[in-house]
Amino acid sequence: MRSKALLLGLLCAVAAQTARAQPPAPVEIKIGALYASSGPYASISMPVAAGFRLWVDQTNANGGAEVKAFGKKIPIKLIAYDDQSSTATAATLYNQLITQDHVDLLIADSGSVLTSVGVPIAKEHKQFLFDVSGTGAAFFTDDNPYVALMADPVSTIWPHYISDFLADEGAKAGIKTVAILFSTNDFTGTQAAALKGFFEKDGKVKIVYYQGVPTTTSNYTVLINNIAALNPDAVLELGYVGNDIAFLRNLQDSGNQFRFVFSIYAGVEKEEIEKNVGVSALTHIYTYVPPSNYEYVPEVGMTQKEFHAAWDKKYPPGSKVTFGANAVYGYMTGLVVERALATAKSLDQMDIHDAVFALSGKLKTLDGTFVLRKDGAQIGEVTPLGQLQPEGKDDLTLVAVYPPDMANGKAVIGK
Amino acid sequence: MLIGAIIAGIVFGLYYTLVGLGLNLVFGVMRIVNLAHGDFLMLGGIAAWWLFTTLGLHPLASAGLVIVAFVLVGLPLYYLVVPRLLRSRDSEMLSLILFFGLSQMIEAVTTIGLGSTERSLPPRLLGVGPIILFGTRLPKAWIFSAAASAIAVLLVYLYLYRTRLGTLTRAVMVSRDEALATGIDVNFVSAVAFGISIALAGVAGVFAPFILGSITPNMGVAINITAFAVIVVGTLGNPLGTLLGGIIYGVSLMLMQTYLSSWANLLPNLLLIAVLLVRPEGILGRRVRRA
Repeated sequence: MRSKALLLGLLCAVAAQTARAQPPAPVEIKIGALYASSGPYASISMPVAAGFRLWVDQTNANGGAEVKAFGKKIPIKLIAYDDQSSTATAATLYNQLITQDHVDLLIADSGSVLTSVGVPIAKEHKQFLFDVSGTGAAFFTDDNPYVALMADPVSTIWPHYISDFLADEGAKAGIKTVAILFSTNDFTGTQAAALKGFFEKDGKVKIVYYQGVPTTTSNYTVLINNIAALNPDAVLELGYVGNDIAFLRNLQDSGNQFRFVFSIYAGVEKEEIEKNVGVSALTHIYTYVPPSNYEYVPEVGMTQKEFHAAWDKKYPPGSKVTFGANAVYGYMTGLVVERALATAKSLDQMDIHDAVFALSGKLKTLDGTFVLRKDGAQIGEVTPLGQLQPEGKDDLTLVAVYPPDMANGKAVIGK
Repeated sequence: MLIGAIIAGIVFGLYYTLVGLGLNLVFGVMRIVNLAHGDFLMLGGIAAWWLFTTLGLHPLASAGLVIVAFVLVGLPLYYLVVPRLLRSRDSEMLSLILFFGLSQMIEAVTTIGLGSTERSLPPRLLGVGPIILFGTRLPKAWIFSAAASAIAVLLVYLYLYRTRLGTLTRAVMVSRDEALATGIDVNFVSAVAFGISIALAGVAGVFAPFILGSITPNMGVAINITAFAVIVVGTLGNPLGTLLGGIIYGVSLMLMQTYLSSWANLLPNLLLIAVLLVRPEGILGRRVRRA
């Protein structure tokens, strides 16, 4: 009798355990995200938010995301808050998404500045953070499994094609000196430090000017004059959209000319920069070639052309968000979420982590190949170096010029 | 590099004179701080952008229209807001709160209406290429902006010292109560000054795309901080002291960019603290304001 009772008790315990292991499927998957509708980061944040929303709407139109943990499609509920480009507000809202809204998945705001406050909060709450484009190297450490960079390479490796090009093609053309002017934030500060390291290691190009300026800088005339006084062959300006607009306008206005000029957003947000700077100020400027201007062959999701068409349909020209690389980054993050949900064993945050990391090296989207380092830093998706070259009378085309296996045109180095 | 920074600073500072001039005029006449001043500057820039993109209007022509339009906005806004504010027990403090709220509203409405992206005007409109001044390359747009500022300062001077309304305005600046007691229509005098102030901000906004690169709805707060530093340095309440404040700010900024570029954004705050500690009445002080 005692053994029968024991057996019955064991059976009950196993049944209860089984019931716990298979919770009922939720009616929706809650995804929390931040965006900045105003402030200095709005111009990079809003396209990301719009690209991600496009993925959400498409997914829900198809009945929701396939969730392996429950063996069915479940609609996505997007809970998005506006941090207004304020890190203090962003910190509060990251906390709110985790502790009040209890989101299943957490998406960071665009860029390193607004991601920087989310990384420690997500780690503290053991919530996996989908870091869209916060490329600051300090975010990725071996003791933090709760973050992975989605759509941009980490800043320490991102700019290496610039130094490779100058050490290779540039040196052949007689480029010997470089000036580096950067905005002092996690994103561009890390890239500048990485470039300095690359140049010092190669030893082929000498740095003659290396200065940081506040990210709020809106006038570069005197800085450009100071650089010109040192007569460098190449000038690399690393800033956010507003910085690049001011720098490129001031460069043209100053009449100073350099053989090689690089700006990040000249290509990354080409439409936005061209609208504000004009074609003549952008001609022959070097920049990154983002996925919005380069056709990778995706195995998951839309091609770049299909995405651009879908974007134009949802956000017609003249609407408040501009198509560019950040639009791709938002959509691409959605694709990672989609594949992670389709393969994760449960919605436990470490299972989400495992599912995301299992995509490394296998996920090919319109943003290139997704490759994660073990600390969560993105080391795939490295954008080729490009140059804005004249096309017709009043237009520019972004040509990939380096590395040779990705190039679709030849660089024009100034005399 | 030193000479270049000083020359560029003087010309650049003249633009910031234009930015701060209206703010100082309002403080001088009404003893209130218009924290929406930077947002009116932003609206001036947006107006110039809109007039160019829809009607093809040159920014110099837009500047004329902006002056008229912003004076017409400023007059009713004064009667709507300021007299009630001045009747309160602590109008200076309350003005900070009220105009901060107005600033937030202007930014929010502009963002909702137009989006948050950068907007600018083609550089060619004020001439491409540099002007070389004592061996220093300066954008042509800087010269236009400095000239516009110099004209604005001159007109404000002529208004204050060569017109009857200006004399009445100076009387209100010395003592609002005494002016009222002598029969001056203080509200009308103040409303005109408020309208002129808004118009000056609007004109500064027209030139902002050429000086600051672009216009965004959120730029008002940063402009306010700088403008406030300029007028405190030049002497709070003395519109013409703004000229000195602007030049000191411009030269200091360019020197910081040249020798200590990473710390350049601290400059407005450093200048404010230094002046408040060493000479709280501003560099020109009360003496000039009463002259």
